[in-house]
This record gives sequence, structure tokens and C-alpha cells, in this order.
Amino acid sequence: MAKPVAKKEYTLSERIYLREILRGMRVTWRHFLFNVRASFRPEPHTIPTCWQYPEDRTREISPVFRGEHMLQLDEKGREKCIACGMCAKICPAKCITIKKGKRKEGEEDKYAAKTYSSSFEIDLLRCIFCGFCQETCPKEAIVLSQEFEMAKYTREECILDKPKLLANYQKAKEEGKLRPPRKKVPVVPAPPKPEAGEEPEGAEVKKAKAAAVGKAKAKKKPVAKKKAAEKEEGAEKEE
Amino acid sequence: MDDWLIAIIKVVCIWVWVLLIAVVMTWVERRGAGMMQDRPGPNRAGPFGLFQPIADGIKLFTKEEIIPLKAQKYLYILGPLLFSLPAFSAYAVVPFGDKIILGGKEIILQVSDVNIGFLFILAIGSMAVYGVILGGWGSTNKYSILGGLRSTAQMVSYEVPLGLALLAVVFVYGTFSLREISLAQQGTFLGILPNWGIFKQPLGFILFIVASYAEANRVPFDLPEAESEIVAGYHTEYGSMRLGLYLFGEYVNLVTISGVIVALYFGSWHIPYIDLGAYLGPVLWGIVSFCIFFLKVSFFLWLFVWVRWTLPRFRYDQVMGLGWRALIPLALFNIFITALFIQLTV
Repeated sequence: MAKPVAKKEYTLSERIYLREILRGMRVTWRHFLFNVRASFRPEPHTIPTCWQYPEDRTREISPVFRGEHMLQLDEKGREKCIACGMCAKICPAKCITIKKGKRKEGEEDKYAAKTYSSSFEIDLLRCIFCGFCQETCPKEAIVLSQEFEMAKYTREECILDKPKLLANYQKAKEEGKLRPPRKKVPVVPAPPKPEAGEEPEGAEVKKAKAAAVGKAKAKKKPVAKKKAAEKEEGAEKEE
Repeated sequence: MDDWLIAIIKVVCIWVWVLLIAVVMTWVERRGAGMMQDRPGPNRAGPFGLFQPIADGIKLFTKEEIIPLKAQKYLYILGPLLFSLPAFSAYAVVPFGDKIILGGKEIILQVSDVNIGFLFILAIGSMAVYGVILGGWGSTNKYSILGGLRSTAQMVSYEVPLGLALLAVVFVYGTFSLREISLAQQGTFLGILPNWGIFKQPLGFILFIVASYAEANRVPFDLPEAESEIVAGYHTEYGSMRLGLYLFGEYVNLVTISGVIVALYFGSWHIPYIDLGAYLGPVLWGIVSFCIFFLKVSFFLWLFVWVRWTLPRFRYDQVMGLGWRALIPLALFNIFITALFIQLTV
């Protein structure tokens, strides 16, 4: 049901519109005068809605801002990336290219796992900064930093290779702008193994738990009353 | 020979002057918009961002020229030319001041005082429709064509009330020449009011200013380029200096329209109640009259900006309804009243 629009009968002076124009112009004139006066005052931010960006960098950036990528190191200074290729696979813009390398003897202080990425390229010209790569990364190796000044002079500069990605990490670390570690996803205890007689029930429990995990973030109702939940969902759809 | 030289100097000077106003207007527009919307506007280039138009000009000139693959090449190129040429020639009959006497020669501050006067402006101004419609059609883009169609309908419709409003002015002054109309506005009217056109044609002035806003495709009648509906209308596909010509022609049109409004309705270079020309020397009076005219014009230029950032856009049927159902009957009524008064008083 659409809400009925309250129609107002316009008076004659409103329909002629000229007086209304003048009233509107009074409003803009007041703003104009106020802002012109404010702009002659010496303080910064005299006009509060604007940040004078290149000079004034005091604006805080959200810690979950999705900027230029970086490859994180663990606390021992080893590369976290295991070159599993999940980020490259999930990337909707297909901008990540990874080559896998195997850790040799004596490289344990360099790479955290048995495999590592021998080359890791991100094409910033293709990237859409969706952040899927950092969400899917099992080791929290690839992360988007708060760096947003990515203008470059050549196309070649726009392709991030491994040294650049690591340099981004060092820079973010020095500036203390590292992203807080990811919250742990609640692990659902493995369902009891279905016994021969109780199979259907076991399957149901499994389903219910899967649903519970999926909806854990959205704070969904207990799934025991499945029918009620279904009803609610139906109601949502109707809306 | 001397006359030719004077004519050429006048053409060049007034051309440069109008271009200069148009350039500064782009800055005024953007800066004024910022101030009205609680933000500073362009303030990077030079003091107060005053060099912003120069930066814009350099950018437009040095940009790569692109002709869309499916565009009809000749029409596409012809569009901006046909739009800007009338804009650059229409102000030829606008007086920019009274006369100035230099070296015993009397020079009127106007490119040419032709006897058809503002008929010339109407004739040349309506040529601009071709620029818009050809640009829109030649781009082979749905938004461009929509914008072109809208502007054609709008400009053709609003030329009627515009012409009718001007006709009443001709009734009052008995001449088309803007200079003669300006000269006739000296002194007082009914003993109290300054002898300005607005006091003789109050309704005509409102009709004229509304219709001229529509002719200039300005807010609230900016349907040909309605950003939120059809991207940029007829100049969607244009880039580099071709786009620049469109945008620039618009500002030059504003100068012309403001000049015509001042010359017809606001007493040109006259100040109410005082005839400065009698007190000042011929050279000084020439300069002062030029300045007075410019001040009045700049007020109307500012009004264009002011209205633009105040009003929302009309819906298309509202624009057409206003043009045909309100303005044209009112303009005819205005003519009737004017004719009646003249008949009774003469």
C-alpha cells in the first residue's frame, strides 16, 4: 500500500510563483553572505562542510577503509601468504595473478608456510576495491590499507608487484595504520555423527546449524522454530 | 579609412570585453554556487581561485578531440559552431555606453547602431537552435537527441512571448534601435519615477525575463541539459574545445541578454534623477556611462547565477504549459494594454 500523498491546494500567490522565487532567493542570499563573511576569517575550516584536502590531512579514515593493497608479515617478520590462490579466484575483476613457490631449506625465517607466492601482481587499473580478497584470505595475508592516493603517471606503475605490496605494509606499520586483526568466526562444533536410525533428524540438526552460522551476524532468531522463521522471511519478502 | 579603423577597433575591444565577462562569469558561477551551498568552490588557482577559468580554458584546449564512431561527422562538427557564432555576433547591437568624443570624433560605444536593433538579436539568437539540434542529432546518442528535441521545442515556444514582450516595448518607444531606446529613458516618468522601461512595462519586463531565461536554457528551464535526467542533453557526446564552445556560448548569451534587459528596461547608462552627461566632460562621460552600464549588466548576470542555485528545474510539461498557456496570453494582454494607453494618450 502506497502512502497517500497529502495534496495541498496552492494559493494564488503560490501559483504565480514569483513571490516564492523571491523568498527562495532570500534564503540563498543569506547563505551566500554568511559564507562570504566566513571565508574572510583567518581560521581553517571556516566553512565547516569542506576539508581543504591537500593541506589539511587531519581527517580520520575508517580502519576498515578499502584502499591500496598490502601483503602482511607475521610477528616474526615472515610472509603470511601461502599462495593458495583464493584471492585470485574470488576476485570479480580478475586483477590478481599469483605464482606459487615452494619454500626451500633455510628459508624458514622468510616465509611462514611451506608454500609462498613467488610473484604476486595486482592490477590496480582493474581492481574495484571490493575487499573480497582480504575477506577470503585464510591467513590474513592480503589486506587493503588506508592509502587512497593512487594516482600514477604510467600504466606500469599501476601494477603492484610483491616489493610494492610489502613496502605498503611497512609504510602502514610505521604510520600505525594497520588494520585490526579480523574477528574470529565462531566455529560450529561438528555435528554428532548420524546414527543409522536417526538419520533424518541428524540431517535436520545439521541444516539448522548451518543456517545458524549463516545468520550469526544478522542476529537471527533461534532456528528451533523453523516454521516461524519461514513465516517471518515470507513476511519480509512481501514487504 | 578612419571610420573603418574605428569600427575594427570597436569590434575587437567589445569582443574582448564580452569574452572577458563570460570568462569571469564561469568563475562567478562556480564560486557563487559554492558560497550558496556552504562550500568554498574553486579556490586553488590564484587568489580566490580567480585563475580557474584560465586553467579550465587550458584544459579544454589541450584535451584530445574525440568524434564518436557513430556520430554524423559534419553535423557533429557544425553543432558547436552554429551555436557559438550567433552568440558571438548577437551583442553587436547592444550599447555598452553612451558616446565618447576622441580627437574631435564622436564614437558611440556600440559595435553598430542598426535601425532594426533588437530584431537583429532575435533573428541571430534563434539561429542558436540549429546549433543545439544539430549537435544533438549529429551525436547519434539518445540523450543528445532528447536534449536537442527538448531545446528546440522550448526555444521555439519561448521565442513567441519574448517577441511579443519586445513588441510592446516598440509600441512605447517607436523604434527598434537599442541606442535610441536608451536615450529615450532619460529624465523622469510621471514626475516621480525614473523614466525607465520597467515602469512603463512592468508586466512586459517579467515576461521578458522569464522567456529569456528559457531562451538561454538556464535554470529553472534547463531541460535541454537536465543533468539528472539525460546526462548533459545535447552536449553529452562533446569534449575538448567543442564542449567549451557550447558552454562559453551560453555565457556570452547571458551577457547579451543582460545587456538587452538593461538597455530596454533599466535605463541603460542613466542614473535616476541625475543627468551626469551634462556635468562631465565628453571623454569622462563616455567612461562613466560605460561603467554604469556594466554595473547594471553585472547585477543581471549575478541574478542568473542567483536564480540558478535557488530554484529547482521545472517539469517538461510545466515548461510548455507555462510558455503557451500563461506567458503568451499575458504577453498579448500586455500588448493590448500598451496599445490602449498609447491610443488614449497620444
